[in-house]
Amino acid sequence: MTPSFDFLTAEERALGDRFRRDGFIVAPAEDRAALDAIRDLMVGLARHRLGMDEGAERPDPPGRLLDRIGDVVPVEELNAFRLAMIGGMNAQPWLRAAYFSVARRTLSAIVGSELCMQRRVNLSIQLPDDDSSLLPVHADTWSGDSPFEVVLWIPLVDCHGSKSMFLLPPGPNAELERNLHRFAARSVDEMFAAIEPDLTWMDVPYGHFLLFNQNLAHGNRVNREADARWSMNCRFKGVFTPYADKKLGEFFEPITLRPASRIGLDYEMPAGFHE
Amino acid sequence: MNERPETLRSGYRGYIGSRPVLGSRIPQHVQNLVIRDYAARSGLTFKLSATEYAMPHCYMMLEQVLAELPGLDGMIAYTLFMLPERRGRRQEIYRRILDTGACLHTAVEGLVLASEADIGRLEDIWSVQQALTHMAPVRF
Repeated sequence: MTPSFDFLTAEERALGDRFRRDGFIVAPAEDRAALDAIRDLMVGLARHRLGMDEGAERPDPPGRLLDRIGDVVPVEELNAFRLAMIGGMNAQPWLRAAYFSVARRTLSAIVGSELCMQRRVNLSIQLPDDDSSLLPVHADTWSGDSPFEVVLWIPLVDCHGSKSMFLLPPGPNAELERNLHRFAARSVDEMFAAIEPDLTWMDVPYGHFLLFNQNLAHGNRVNREADARWSMNCRFKGVFTPYADKKLGEFFEPITLRPASRIGLDYEMPAGFHE
Repeated sequence: MNERPETLRSGYRGYIGSRPVLGSRIPQHVQNLVIRDYAARSGLTFKLSATEYAMPHCYMMLEQVLAELPGLDGMIAYTLFMLPERRGRRQEIYRRILDTGACLHTAVEGLVLASEADIGRLEDIWSVQQALTHMAPVRF
């Protein structure tokens, strides 16, 4: 089927072409104030968790504590620390609306205007040289996500090289999926070695977002940079597109239902007729 | 909403089913495990679950739990989608829960009905799910 692009604006078409060709879009935050509020929230939660509330002086830039979190949180305490951060941030009623606003126009162009959003935003923290928080190469669709979902990935620090994540572009990914069964008896590391030359490492400075196609193989490796990676991720999909194992209600929630859909959902045909 | 002294209320009644939900059968002991875990994580006192009868569209046990609500803090249903399919009937249930000053939790979704403002959120999810149910299934 030939897609009909004729009804899209030039901007929507360009974004869509880019997304389909590369599998991702990196762009400046559409609502920088919202992104800064999220980062400030995380800095505040981290300071609170680490008992730094009393020290009123904050001479460093806001992101410095996040970058250097490995100086005060040892690897063995990292997961408990991360879970506390996730609990704290998701307890803020404004978090998801702010997160959405960081890429609202791009999400509308790539996914649509009536969206479902994941109910809990995730957080990854990857300390330098730590191999305990790795996400081996995978595609989300292989483990229960609908192919209609996209991931909005937002770094709270500058992310590049091994401090970031990798993505396999659509062409090589199609080849990987054709040959995936050949890796059935082999390790994920062997799969990584096979695709490594084709990988794109995401360069996403703070102040930008990454929107990527989670049907493509992706993951991360040991962070060999000097500072820690902090990145948040959250899935979006069209409300009326098919769901897989991540269900409506328990995982996704409609966030931008439009009036015509609400009217349609409320509509009941006149009843009471009999043969 | 009727405000009642907290001392007269005790715990949250579980509500599980014996019919498939959205086409899936969930063993009753698994439903109870999920509810118990939700209650423990949320700091709620769990009271033994009422099990809905298997006959389609039968909500007799739900009615019993609703009648019991004045003496409870609320109820924990295994899932939102165990509630009646008919919107008017769901609205009536929300109303009865709120009018007794109790609340409804749904364990799988982790959703809470504690005030008027929560109804819209629950109904958005329910109504979209009902619309999706009428669409042709897609295999990935």
